[in-house]
Amino acid sequence: MSSLHFPVYILMLLLAFAVTIPLHKKPYGRKFQVLMLSVLGVSWVMALLELLKVLWDAPYSYTFGNYERGIGIEFLVDEFSALMTLVVLTLSVLIIIYALRDLEHEIESSRMYSYFTLVFLMIFSMIGMIFTNDMFNLYVFMEILSLTSVAIIAIKKKKDTLMASMKYLMMGAIASVTILMGIALIYMVTGALNMSEINLEISRVWALYPRNILLAMGFMLTGFGIKAAIFPLHNWLPDAHSSAPTPSSALLSGLVVKAYVFAIAKIMYRVIGENISVNIGITNYIIIFAVMSMIMGSVFALTQRDIKRRLAYSSVSQIGYIFLGLALASELGFSAALFHVISHAFMKSALFLSAGAIIYKTGIRDVKKLDGIGYEMPITMTVFSVGVLGMIGIPGTSGFMSKWYLGLAVLDAGHPELLAVILISSFLNALYYLPIIISAFLRERPGKPLVMHRDKLPRTMKVSMVIVALGSILIGLFPHLVMDIIQRAVPTFIGINLGL
Amino acid sequence: MDDLFVKVTTKMILPFIQIYGIYVIIHGHLSPGGGFSGGAIFAASIVLYTLAYGLHKGQKRMPHSISSKVETGGILFYIGIGFVGILAGYPFLTNKAAGFPMGELGKVMSAGLIPMVTVAIGLKVMSTIVTLFHTMLEED
Amino acid sequence: MKLDLSLIANNINYIGAMVLFIIGLYTVLTHSNLIKKIIGINIMETSIFLFFVSIGYVKGAVAPILDPSTGEKIFVNPLPAAMILTGIVVAVSITAFSLSIIIKIHEAYGTIELDEIMKIRSVEVDE
Repeated sequence: MSSLHFPVYILMLLLAFAVTIPLHKKPYGRKFQVLMLSVLGVSWVMALLELLKVLWDAPYSYTFGNYERGIGIEFLVDEFSALMTLVVLTLSVLIIIYALRDLEHEIESSRMYSYFTLVFLMIFSMIGMIFTNDMFNLYVFMEILSLTSVAIIAIKKKKDTLMASMKYLMMGAIASVTILMGIALIYMVTGALNMSEINLEISRVWALYPRNILLAMGFMLTGFGIKAAIFPLHNWLPDAHSSAPTPSSALLSGLVVKAYVFAIAKIMYRVIGENISVNIGITNYIIIFAVMSMIMGSVFALTQRDIKRRLAYSSVSQIGYIFLGLALASELGFSAALFHVISHAFMKSALFLSAGAIIYKTGIRDVKKLDGIGYEMPITMTVFSVGVLGMIGIPGTSGFMSKWYLGLAVLDAGHPELLAVILISSFLNALYYLPIIISAFLRERPGKPLVMHRDKLPRTMKVSMVIVALGSILIGLFPHLVMDIIQRAVPTFIGINLGL
Repeated sequence: MDDLFVKVTTKMILPFIQIYGIYVIIHGHLSPGGGFSGGAIFAASIVLYTLAYGLHKGQKRMPHSISSKVETGGILFYIGIGFVGILAGYPFLTNKAAGFPMGELGKVMSAGLIPMVTVAIGLKVMSTIVTLFHTMLEED
Repeated sequence: MKLDLSLIANNINYIGAMVLFIIGLYTVLTHSNLIKKIIGINIMETSIFLFFVSIGYVKGAVAPILDPSTGEKIFVNPLPAAMILTGIVVAVSITAFSLSIIIKIHEAYGTIELDEIMKIRSVEVDE
């Protein structure tokens, strides 16, 4: 029976470690780094065992306090939640290994302990958001995630990080209030907070009070749209992700935004149900916003010269792909969107980590000044190229597989014009990513050679970047490893109620 | 502020505020209130002391080392109580089946783990609000 | 449609909550002082708490405290009150955190009016 407690073990281990970090009195050193990595390693092993157990048996639910489902808080552990937890922990381990050497030059050493406390609390709340089956519990974990993700931007005290974090905090607060309004409206008519119980009652309620459900869906879509940066509401994302320290940028762009997308997918399909969502017409609006995101995100990225801002706008466009897959309301579309969540997490982390390595060694952030840097930093530029090829969609990388699945889903749902939009967006992606690689590898440096800030790239940074890139290539060459798990998990979401 | 009236009044009224805060925390399962409200009332007394007597004396009364240890201890106590349920074979945070003494309805020592958890939350909220206040004043 | 006064008087809580929400949103969007924006967010959160608590009201019921001497009665729904307590904690945390960031912004820029900060930033970017 003890293996059933794994969600609680992972969460409580991370929380207990995060809370005891401020008690360390000695200055930040080697022993603390080893302790931190061992705690993360134990959590990773437990997440892997959990995934294997769910694949072997069936999905199960875990209620806190031995109460029955309507009274207590419930965690529903199915295949996709376990897989997503494993991906979150894998990327966090690699990014924290990278951050051990990179952060010494970005923030003051008296704040290193606080930084790692915030990162652990962030991972704790993301895993909680992935597992939970209760609406108000989702709200609580979402608030912890919102506050800690602003704090790891504001911990670097320069002028532009302060204004960027203020903007992110304000828009995040407005979004949280809007989401709470949506939860209140749904609670008003159904009288339950558990997601499966709301789903059982929703068809009866839809006949009696259609306007309530419509208002609730509108409020929640606006709130989660602000947090997940869909097109008209994405203004906070370029400032926040580009002025943050590099490990924070990688964590935010790769993992935090995806947690919110997962939450809105759960609400649209597990709570409200598929037929009501299509009946209201919400899915048509999401398709329009997703298409605008995909195209306008790439158009804005063409005009940016700072390399991190270019990567941040590219994130906006990729989130558009995921929302397009969600809005198609079919099994193929849903599994394509979830596959792109995982593959984009790996690719964007690889891109941000290698861009951070370039800034660490040379101090250059301008894209036009990166000529000939491929010869002086070959490993870094190779990792960057792997990420870029994945973003464009060259066969053999995970980005190609996700575009392939998304294209099949779009054709299956009967919208062939959206396939043209996907192709145009891939072309625009190539237009702003390829010149960086070409000028880095194939162009000579005019004038005097490059002056390096520091001599060598530390080995921990190189190792973690290479492992992230290898992960991306692995998913690209063997996509059925991930896709089988996703396709087993999709019936739990759409339509069929497991009755757990 | 160096006003004599404020200092004398604060010295007289402080114990009553603290006793009221402790009352709200302990009767959390019998009357409205509970951990957060009681902790906030208790913290208001220390904030009042700092406002009346200055930052230096306020920090001597509740130094940073004690408040950070109280914060950590609060959460670890909560997690420990939850694990008692797991050791007995039931899910996390189980109340009656894990062997907590239930007592009678309407008395203070009743309802299993709820008073213990309420005290932990009250202590943690109190130390958090005081730490926030002192940190914001220190920045100048 | 007939707009009689009893429809408004019965649902005055919900109408008040919506009006407060819009006032709060208007305050966040139009004032340029950063502290006024935080006050606007607080007003919005207060309106949500009012909405939530008035969901649980049952006509002619008493406060949900179980007293073993007086027997069974009809109680008000206690679940929204517990949720609002958590919501108030969240609102206090967001306010405290944004006030700390405003202190840092004041140290860095010298002002907390958004118009003047934008002017200083556009001068910096052009250099």
